[in-house]
Parts: sequence; C-alpha cells; structure tokens
Amino acid sequence: MQKVFNNKTAIFLFVFPGILLFALTFLVPIFLSGYYSLRDTLAPGTPSTFTGFANYTQLLFHDSRFWLALRNAILLGLGFIFIQHPIAIFFAIMLDRLGGKAEKWFRTIFFIPCVISVVVISKMWLSLLDPTFGAFNKLLDTLGLGMLKHAWLGDSSTALVTMLFILIWAGFGWGLLFYYAGLKGIPDEMYEAASLDGASGFKLHLRITVPLLSPVITVQITLAMITALKQMETVFLTTNGGPGDSTQFLAVYLYNKAFSASQYGYANAISILFIIVCLLATYLSSKLTRSDATEF
Amino acid sequence: MVKNTKSKRNITLIAALAAVSVLSACGNNNSGGNAAGSSTDGNAAGSAGEQVTLRLFSNLPDRKSGQGLAEQMVIDNYTKENPNVKIELETLAEEPFKNKLKAYMASNEALDITMVHGGAELNTLVQAGYVKELDPAEYEGETYNFLPGVYKSFTFNDKLYGLPRNSDYEVIYYNKKIFADNGVNVPTTYAELLDAAKQFRAKGIEPMSVNGKDLWSFAAFFQDLVIRVSGDQSLTLDAVDQKKSFTTDESFITAAKLLGEARDAKLFQESFMTADYGASQNLFTQGRAAMWYMGSWEAGMATNESLSEDFRNNVAVLKFPVVDGGKGKDTDLLAWNGGGYSLVSSSKHPEEAKKFFDYLMRADQWAKTVWDTGAAVPAQKYELTGSESGLQQQLTEVLTGATTTAGSLGLDYGTPKFKDDGQNAFGKFFAGGSTPEELLAELQKAAESQ
Repeated sequence: MQKVFNNKTAIFLFVFPGILLFALTFLVPIFLSGYYSLRDTLAPGTPSTFTGFANYTQLLFHDSRFWLALRNAILLGLGFIFIQHPIAIFFAIMLDRLGGKAEKWFRTIFFIPCVISVVVISKMWLSLLDPTFGAFNKLLDTLGLGMLKHAWLGDSSTALVTMLFILIWAGFGWGLLFYYAGLKGIPDEMYEAASLDGASGFKLHLRITVPLLSPVITVQITLAMITALKQMETVFLTTNGGPGDSTQFLAVYLYNKAFSASQYGYANAISILFIIVCLLATYLSSKLTRSDATEF
Repeated sequence: MVKNTKSKRNITLIAALAAVSVLSACGNNNSGGNAAGSSTDGNAAGSAGEQVTLRLFSNLPDRKSGQGLAEQMVIDNYTKENPNVKIELETLAEEPFKNKLKAYMASNEALDITMVHGGAELNTLVQAGYVKELDPAEYEGETYNFLPGVYKSFTFNDKLYGLPRNSDYEVIYYNKKIFADNGVNVPTTYAELLDAAKQFRAKGIEPMSVNGKDLWSFAAFFQDLVIRVSGDQSLTLDAVDQKKSFTTDESFITAAKLLGEARDAKLFQESFMTADYGASQNLFTQGRAAMWYMGSWEAGMATNESLSEDFRNNVAVLKFPVVDGGKGKDTDLLAWNGGGYSLVSSSKHPEEAKKFFDYLMRADQWAKTVWDTGAAVPAQKYELTGSESGLQQQLTEVLTGATTTAGSLGLDYGTPKFKDDGQNAFGKFFAGGSTPEELLAELQKAAESQ
C-alpha cells in the first residue's frame, strides 16, 4: 500500500478520471456560464456581443424580481430553521422514546412525503387547495368556517405562505430522520446522570439533547439554507413563480429567464450570483452555528 | 468516551455526505421524447433514388387524434409515394419542445424539418441562422392556396423563414345546455357577458374557464378588448413597436378598465391562476364551466370521442362580444398564424427535405387533412366537404365573416423578453390586484425595455 501512495504515476492514474469528470461536468459549465453572463446572448448559438457587467448591474440595481426571489428563498430557509426543525426535533425525541413496533411504524409514516415524487406532491396540493372542489375548502365548509374559503395558491396575498407551508411539510421527514439518527447516538447514561442531578422533562432535553445534537443541527441549518435557495420543482409545478411574482424563487426565475424570455446571458448572470449566494449562505451558517464542540 | 465521539463523528460524516448529495442533486429536465420512425418498407424495386432518412421534430406527441393524427397521415402518404424515404419523427409536448429546440439550435443539430412557433420564438432561430430562408414566389398559386397575409409572423426583415400551418383565432367556446338550463342569454355585448357571469356565479357555476397559469390568454383577452374599443387592429402591435403608447392612448385606458371589470365580476373560474391549459380545458369539457376562452385550434373537441356525447352536442362558438360605445365590430377578428414548419439549415439532405416540406405544405395534404379530421383551421383555402361538425361550420363562419384580422398576437409581436414581462404584468393584475393604470405602465415599460 505504501508503495502505491509513493508512486506519483499511480496517484495520477487513480485520481485523474474523477478530476476529469468533475471538471467537465462542473467546472467547465461554470466557466462557460460566467462567459455567457458577460454577453447579451439570446439563446445558446446565437450571435451576441460583449456587454461587460451590464447584466449584473441590471440584476443588482434594477431588478426587483431577482431580489424578491432571493427574499422568498431566505424566508423559506428561515421557515425551515425556525419552524420545521424545532418540530422535527420534538418529534424525533418522541419517536426515540416510543420504542418497539410503534417507533418503526411512525418513522415510516413521517417519511412517506419524502419518498413520494415531487410531481405527485405538487398535483396533490393543487387538488387539495382547489377553491372549487378542493378537500381543504370543503373541510372549512363542514367546520362552519366557510368565510375562510380561499384560492390559496391563486391569490398573491396567501400564495407565498401556502407555498412555504407545502415545502416545509414536504421536507419534514428528512429533518426528522437526521435528528432521529443524532438522538440514537446520545448514550442513555447522559440522561440517567442528568436525572440524578434533578433535571427532568423539557429542561432535560434543553440541557442535554440540544447541546449534544449541535453538530447535527449545524449541518442541518446549512442544508436547509441550500435546499431553500435551490427550490425549484414544487414551485415550478404549482404556481411557476406566480401569481404575479409572489412565489418567485431563484431557480424558477432563472429557468424562465433562460427559456421563456430568451435572455440567456441574463439568466447566466443570475446563475453566477446564485452560486455566490449559495457559497455565502454555507459560509455564514457554518460561521454562525460554530460553537465549541461539546465534550463529554 | 471514545465510542461517543466516534458516533458523533459518524453523524457529522453522514450529514456531510447528505450535504454533498443535496448540493449535487440537480433536477434534470425530464424530456422523454419518443423517436418513432414511421417507415413503410415498400419494395425498393419501383423506387427511385437513394435510401434517405429525414428527421422531423414536432410539438404534437398525440398521434392518435387532433393535429398529431393529421401530421402522421401526411407523413404516411409521403412515405407510401416515396418508398426510399424514411421519416424519423421526434415529438415533445409544447413547453419541453420549445426548450429542446433551443438546445438543438445551440448544438446545430442536423434536423431536416422542424415545427416552429411564429413571431418571437422563430426570430431567435432566424438570428442563430438555424432555419432556411424560403422563396415566397414558389408558394403562390393553386397548389398551396395560402390565404393572404398569413406570412406575417414568419417574415423577418422582409425574408420568409417558414410556412404557417393553421389560422389561429380567439373565440369563446360555450356550452349551450348550461346557458339554457340556467336561463342565461348568450351574450353579444361585453356588459351582457359580465352580467351572465354574475348570474352563473349566483348559481354556483363557473362562468368562464381560462388557463391563467400560462398567462398568455389574458393578453389575448386584453387585445380583443382593445380591438373592440378602438376598432383598430394594429393598435396593440403599434404599441409593442412603440409607435403608440400604452399609457396615454384612450383606447388602452378604456380597455384596461373593462378588463378590471371582468376581474371584479369574477368572470373566470375560482382557480384560474393555478389552472394550466389542460386544467382549464377539463373544467369546460366536463361541463363545470359555461364558457372557455380559447383558440380555433380546439375545433377537434366536437369530434373527440373521449369527451361525453352530451358535451359534444352542446359545444358552440361565440364571437368576442362588442363593447358599448366601442368602435370595433364583432367581425374584427383577433387572428394570427402561430404554428408552422421551417427547413433547418444544417440538414444533411437539403433537397430531399425540401421535397417533403413542399409536399407537407400542399393544400391537398396538411390543409385538407387537418380540416377533414376536424383538428384545426388551416392557413390555406380549404373545400368544405359537407361532413363538418357543427363546431367546424361555426368556426368557418367566424373566419370567413371576418372583416379585419390582427395578423399577430401582441404578445408574440415583440421579443421573448417582452412576452415574459408582459405576461408578468397580467399576472400581477389578475392575482395581485394592481390597478388598470399600473398594468398599462408595466406594459409600456416592457415595450420600452425589450
């Protein structure tokens, strides 16, 4: 083995295919994207002229739709972190304490939305929330709350909140699974020792579980931010960023700019900013959540 | 002790792996095109010329009914007459089709013939030099029989780059039975239309179905209103060209207010902002909406066996109603030519491709077939066979009775960017409750910044 590690040719031979693949599928397209973003390309293959940073200045200073899309993505990220995750931690603790058959059962149930295809989820919510024949409005009717009936996804004032709800619901199982796995790694002795010291219930979990889960929480927050920024499919299939721009997300906006509006150069400028925002979000969330590792 | 740190590290590792997988999991655009080569293995004995395979790219995936069936019939006719030619067909649904065609254009894929959308979409292909210029002189006369003025969306800088396959025009389809059963009169004026909407609403019936998610129908509806108010077919197109202004012209201001009235009267179905094309059609064909605002290319509804007989017997056509005090008549038709075919520059068999293209566009091929199957209204003169459905007859009357036509949909008249911005303005207007003035200001801005 030592021989192999000292042999430069061997190292090169083993690493090269992977590096090459990575370069061709990731690096080259990113550079191409950067190149196109500096031109006023209508579509790939059309003649275009060099426009310098015009696309970027337009985006950053004159394009309210871009900022709106970014704002929505950040809202979704915050929704994941402050709404989805606490609930997920709570349910993970509950699950962990169940044990036996019931635990397996509920674990499966919670995870179902994650294995259903995005298309099915999107169409399902569209039907559920349909103002005329949707089950949700029917339910409101039977509860005598008819005045609350609404075109949930079709009205600017409620579309975003509804969309955030759907996305938070759909991703819940993943969050739960991670925290659940994290909990399984906390030894029982910890809890026993804490109980002897007089901690119980909520306090016990606040003092023991949450600090010990911190590495998982850190990763989860980073993941949540990136997932939120990348949101595309569900929005694309339900509202396509509408009505108006109320549920506009970065990836949907980018797609429509590239393929519907034929502003290919502009769309590439969005994608470059998109990469920058993602990297920034990753960096920030790891910075913010960096606490000294809990020793035990 | 050691074990614990280890398990903690494992979790972090798992999470890190998951992070990588999330980062790299990019949605791939699922475009399952089917390349169904339609070949007839004719005996090569009587055939002249080399064996050749032509590639055709089309937006009609359904080959069993409607326009897809008509296209397939013409292909079969041709391969029967020319056994040495095989036609390899690739089809995708509308939106994926547009995207893939752009990808083909970027890689200069050697297609022979492709379906194209006139106006902004085709303009992009022309700029990339992907489609061939045609000589209009070749397509004059009896063999082709094109109606006057149908080349408008296919002509750029006075050069022709494709031929239209249909006459497209907006009408209101309505369900006679729903009107009769509820004692609502079929509207002839815009005020009556809104009044009918209120009556249907009171009875819990959706008055008019529209594909609000796609947004372009709103633009057509608005253009129809502008035509009815001003009596001027070119007004909207001139505004897109910035020869007129959306914000200052009286006709636009009046039309935008009228559009606001439709919004306030809840003319469209409850779920109109999330309804795509199929959803809006289903609402109407299943008898849950009294009207549907759509184009002449849906003539096939009356002969579509998969729809209920009750519906097929009761579907009828209504001209867009006139506006009280407006200068427009109900014979001013919002008509244009959207779909068509072009020859591709990078074709490997230019001569054979042109032969097939000319055959396809002959009046006795596409035009006749599409009319006889009741799929759409062609852009060429067609003979009535006497076996038309009632719906086809009504659509013919609307077209032949038209005193003026628009020539282009305003939305497709500018750049793709204008189309996108314009659609967005209508989206905000209908769902976000912006005022008529704001709508016009946004349209004006879209026209100026295209």
